[in-house]
Amino acid sequence: MIQKNAPPKRSDEPVWWALFSAGGVCFAVVVPGAILALALLPALGVITADSLSYPRISELLYQSLWGLAGLAFVGSVICLPLFHAAHRIHHGLHDLQLGGGLLSKVLCYGSAAVISLLALYLIS
Amino acid sequence: MSKTINIARYNPEQDSQPQLQAFQVDSDHSTSVLDALLQVQQQDPSLGFRWSCRMAICGSCGVMVNGIPKLGCKTFLRDYPDEVTVSALAHFVVEKDLIVDMQPFLAHLSAVKPYLINDQQNAEPHRQTPAQLAKYQQFANCINCGLCYSACPQFGLNPEFLGPAAITLAQRYNLDSRDQGKAARMPELNSKNGVWGCTFVGFCSEVCPKKVDPAAAINQGKVASAGDFIISMFKP
Repeated sequence: MIQKNAPPKRSDEPVWWALFSAGGVCFAVVVPGAILALALLPALGVITADSLSYPRISELLYQSLWGLAGLAFVGSVICLPLFHAAHRIHHGLHDLQLGGGLLSKVLCYGSAAVISLLALYLIS
Repeated sequence: MSKTINIARYNPEQDSQPQLQAFQVDSDHSTSVLDALLQVQQQDPSLGFRWSCRMAICGSCGVMVNGIPKLGCKTFLRDYPDEVTVSALAHFVVEKDLIVDMQPFLAHLSAVKPYLINDQQNAEPHRQTPAQLAKYQQFANCINCGLCYSACPQFGLNPEFLGPAAITLAQRYNLDSRDQGKAARMPELNSKNGVWGCTFVGFCSEVCPKKVDPAAAINQGKVASAGDFIISMFKP
């Protein structure tokens, strides 16, 4: 027998919303900072190409502090923004009535997870 | 000054869908859309629409004016230099002309237990500081006109979505220091048709005639629901 007025099922959306929110902050703050430091300032000659040399950056991000800085950089510039974008695409598909169900959820968040793991693998 | 007003007419016993009918009304700087509808009703007594207070308190005269949800009494013809088209509130079932079936809206409101829940049995008044009042006061200004439901694309796609006014009302009582019913309200809000049905379009807050800001209430509700999710992981 179906229980009358049974409480509705709890949504798993808080997980994706939390990743979306964190990714949004990274998209707004860290990604522009990275573009400024890695693309605009060297092009404008404000910082020299030497200061972005591979050995120096590798030491700074991936060797000192047990590589935590590199983990934070990849997490905030690649992984979290990926989940932010995946969330927008998933809900955008729902708005366009093209999906928004389990398949688009698996595809969107799944591809964000796979690309995130690939990025983290490449720095390990 | 004479003005043309197009009204979406619908008689469920004769029409397969609403048809626009043009009327001429006298209009000056103080003529509201509701005044215009009352003039039209003098010309054609069969026109059906709801109204009561004429002062944006009762919330019964909600209609679409040129496709935007508005209160007829709070919308003035002077702001529409060209023709005005009035139709029934979007996303609701039309019963006749400008009258919609508000039953689904009322069912969503009652689903969130929109009343003080407090087991304390004493005759003492429940005192509240101005700061405690300020937490929920804005959300208590809702007049249940339903404009936010006509504005909400998610309610349009999924009529099971609790919607802006109901979630705002839940948040209004959850934030009330006299209330103890948050645990009873959260299961509805935690579901996919609760706060998580909202994608923060924000049009609900734009159309709200009482500046209640339902979008803010829903997003506060999302934070509360996310907190509830984390706490539930630590409960057996």
